[in-house]
Amino acid sequence: MHEGARTEPMLLAENAELRAQLEGAEETLRAIRNVEVDALIVESATGPRVYTLHGVDSASNRFRGEILAQVSDAVIAIDGHQRVTYANAAAERQYGLSPSWALGHLLSNVYETRWLRPGDESAAETALRERGEWRGENVHLRQDGRELHVESSMTVLRETVDQRAGVLAVIRDISDRKRAEDKVRVSEIRYRRLFEAAQDGVLLLDPDTCKITDANPFMTKLLSYPHEELVGKELYEIGLMKDEGASLEMFRKLKSEHHVRYEDLPLKSQGGRHQEVEVVANLYDENGRAVIQCNIRDITERKRVEEHNKLLMAEINHRSMNLLAVVQAVAHQTARTGDPATFVARLFDRIDGLAASQDLLIKNQWEGVDLADLVEAQLAHFEDLIGARVMLDGPPVRLTPAAAQGIGMALHELATNAGKYGALSNDDGRVHISWQFGTANEPVFLMSWLEEGGPTVALPMRKGFGQMVIGRMVEAAVDGTAEVDYRESGFSWRLSSPLAGTLQKGRLASSPGNDARG
Amino acid sequence: MPTNIIGAGECEAMGAAAASANARYVLRLYITGTTSQSTRAILNIRKICEEHLEGRYELEVVDISQHPTLAIGEQIIAAPTLIKKLPLPLRRFIGDMSQTERILLGLDLRTAVAKASPARNS
Repeated sequence: MHEGARTEPMLLAENAELRAQLEGAEETLRAIRNVEVDALIVESATGPRVYTLHGVDSASNRFRGEILAQVSDAVIAIDGHQRVTYANAAAERQYGLSPSWALGHLLSNVYETRWLRPGDESAAETALRERGEWRGENVHLRQDGRELHVESSMTVLRETVDQRAGVLAVIRDISDRKRAEDKVRVSEIRYRRLFEAAQDGVLLLDPDTCKITDANPFMTKLLSYPHEELVGKELYEIGLMKDEGASLEMFRKLKSEHHVRYEDLPLKSQGGRHQEVEVVANLYDENGRAVIQCNIRDITERKRVEEHNKLLMAEINHRSMNLLAVVQAVAHQTARTGDPATFVARLFDRIDGLAASQDLLIKNQWEGVDLADLVEAQLAHFEDLIGARVMLDGPPVRLTPAAAQGIGMALHELATNAGKYGALSNDDGRVHISWQFGTANEPVFLMSWLEEGGPTVALPMRKGFGQMVIGRMVEAAVDGTAEVDYRESGFSWRLSSPLAGTLQKGRLASSPGNDARG
Repeated sequence: MPTNIIGAGECEAMGAAAASANARYVLRLYITGTTSQSTRAILNIRKICEEHLEGRYELEVVDISQHPTLAIGEQIIAAPTLIKKLPLPLRRFIGDMSQTERILLGLDLRTAVAKASPARNS
């Protein structure tokens, strides 16, 4: 715009602005004269230069400011009214503040303080009042809601000895450290619980001294040693290694291979109890220190079960072979009589009887069969008559597997014959089955099958397989003698055999006296 | 040459606008480290803002002792200096900001007496 074109209002505005600038310049000079400023900024060829007006104090202030700006901990100064007079860059980062935002604000606008324990706040106030400083931990809640676990060091700032100007706080964010400590604490509790509750013995050893440094409760139970007696001992002293040499050999191997495993180590507890144990030891680093962890598992029961299973497998194999031989003989003998239809019916019937005995044996894990159970199994098709027309009388006895097989087949034949031709073939006949112990040259087992009230008995026309089963086969099974009597008044069968081969050892009678059944 | 030259009439109009409760203030305070004047200036201007401009101000504190180049372009000749950048007109205040009434006048927060006694400005 041309100068001559300026209107009066424009000139008035320009005049007012110039006057304002002049007043501003005068005001600046007044402020400098009244020492209301502490620095002048002068333009130079290299840019603005700051000239402070307070000599050494100002320079040292600046120096201090530079140092505080560099420290990684948050540094905050407040005045007597809790307003922030200084906050370094670390404080701005720690509390998520934009640069210089905190300055002049109340400290409570920067963060809220949460004390960890009820008395902490008053303790801090007392310390600042009486000693001029306080150091401790608390939680700062940022404006954005984030919690910081901090360690603070607070010092009272004084203008004079008696006049308090404010407080300087150096605040370190220890949230990460706290989290790590919490993790370690949780981990310690968790693994301590594992150690305490483990159902394996755990020993910790010092590889240099070869001595036990700690033992879990299960270890003390395993060895019957109290904890304090275990600690400080060497392995051979607690019966885990046979002698010092064996113990040293284990440590030598551990140091070179960092791992050893021993199976089937015999362990003798303080009470003299022998146990089989499995030992797994590892050498590992524990915060720069070598430690040996020894896990000891009591495998006595496992070994017993393994042995039992091995025996059982051999027994099953042996029994299976025997059973097949019996089936073969039964089939062969049955085939000699009757037509094919009768052969099939008889064979199936006899194999059913054999299967009943077998079933009982398997249920009892080949550890024998209770005789009363065997009788009931073989007479299953006369179940309704047991107790009424079929009377059982005898003590509880457990037959060996061989005796169970032989007597079982004999009972099957006896029951079949009684149903077809004997006491159970009419409405009135009765069968008495009894067993007892007797003595001859040696203790014997006596068993009898006595029939009465049946049709008149006639001698069989010929000796079939049934005769062989109740005779030679059962005799062979119990190494005894069987007698058969075809009296007119009733058929009878008697078996006598040595106790040793007939009944399971230790199972002669599970309760004394006769246990009348049926 | 001043970067913010505006007419006196416009200035008065803006001053009236500033007096309204809605005007948003943008202030910048130039200080030199943790000197006593600088600290006092921060505390004083913050108190004025909290009491009279609650919720409608931005105060930026610039430490030129660490970075003198931050003073370029603002014609800062002494510290502490407060610049009212918004609302217009631009105003400058020098000193420790302890003269509250003069500051309030200069910030157009005392419009009734502002014309009779203008705040120091540049």
